[in-house]
Amino acid sequence: MSQKSARAQRSNVVRTQRAASLKPFYYGLGVVALIGIALIIRTAQHSDASRPSIANVSLTPVKAQGHLLGNPNAPVQILEFADFECPHCAEFATITEPDVRKRIIDAGLASYRYFDFPLEHFTNSVPASNAAACAGDQNKFWEMHDRLFQGQPDWSGESNPKGVFETYAKALGLDVSAWDACYDSQKHIPEINANRDEGLRRHVESTPTFVIGTKQIPGAIPYDMFKAYVDTAAMEAMKNGTQSSGDSATGKAASAKP
Amino acid sequence: MLIALLALVGALVAVYLTLFKVGVIGELVCHIGSCERVNTSRWAVFLGLPVAAWGLATYIVLLVLALMSVQRAGFERQIAWMLVVLSGWSVLFSAWLTSKELFVIHAICIWCVTSATIMTLIFFTSLVELWRARRAERAESFDTRSAAPPAASGSGSMRGSARG
Repeated sequence: MSQKSARAQRSNVVRTQRAASLKPFYYGLGVVALIGIALIIRTAQHSDASRPSIANVSLTPVKAQGHLLGNPNAPVQILEFADFECPHCAEFATITEPDVRKRIIDAGLASYRYFDFPLEHFTNSVPASNAAACAGDQNKFWEMHDRLFQGQPDWSGESNPKGVFETYAKALGLDVSAWDACYDSQKHIPEINANRDEGLRRHVESTPTFVIGTKQIPGAIPYDMFKAYVDTAAMEAMKNGTQSSGDSATGKAASAKP
Repeated sequence: MLIALLALVGALVAVYLTLFKVGVIGELVCHIGSCERVNTSRWAVFLGLPVAAWGLATYIVLLVLALMSVQRAGFERQIAWMLVVLSGWSVLFSAWLTSKELFVIHAICIWCVTSATIMTLIFFTSLVELWRARRAERAESFDTRSAAPPAASGSGSMRGSARG
């Protein structure tokens, strides 16, 4: 046997022995991977479970709050509890909401009311709600709402987002000095807090959360699901001969209309 | 072996953060710091992709390289170099992201810090691996030389093997 083939044979033996000795290591890696995957799945399920489930909501009338879009006397009322700095809210506002406005709100099937629900871990949420409310003073809440969500990466996480908000105010053709004075005065903060309190009263735990008719639905749901909830609420309203119960937040009881 | 284990744990952390970023997981478990604030900031995206997804790809490459190294495929030194370069670059990138967390976002994400720590450990372990691989190569070449008969009495082919 030549020296070369002897070395190759020796090397093969070493490799086989090594592969056998590595088995426990590979098993160990497999176990770590399985534990990790199980933990991720458990965390994901816990994250979903911590959201409020779809449930019947209280019909107790409360003071009118939020920002209205559409006909307040539409058969169904939709409430949205959202945070301007929350990425899932931005996803809903930019992807699904245009369809909701065009096919549901503009069609007169429902009215839509936006409630600020600033989450603690987003530091620019309240300033953004303040910026939108000040635009609302000049009847441009929804335009500012759209701008804020579309440009979320530009101001989210900034130490002082006012500069970015001001460029939006200019672009929307607002009276910037009036908007500026309003923003600095923070006069809308009590309304923003009241909107958040309404969400807390309804046990809103994540954003966005929608109230469509008598159902409370967490998450940035797709348009088809959204429309299905509206249709169900419209049928309920027709059956009961009332406006569907989202109006509990507008200051009217569910039986406001005969 | 340690690198493969660290890369696997890092990949799992990156999977978790990527799933949050793409919306599969609604909320991050974050007992220290403000993970969601960091992961929804503008620095959580790099070249159009979530930073966590880049991290995941990097950890997978590191894991494959580490497994190749464990198998002793015969390219230990080259693999160790690749591990050093890739993990070194990732440590620099992690340091840049951590500086953004501290000085711009003013929030710390414990998962991101965990990932940065894992990457730093991989880098230093890779340096040790590289040193070991070079030492092993030197020792092998020394063994081959000492195993060869003296040049004066050896044939041409024996001299060739001694050089090899």
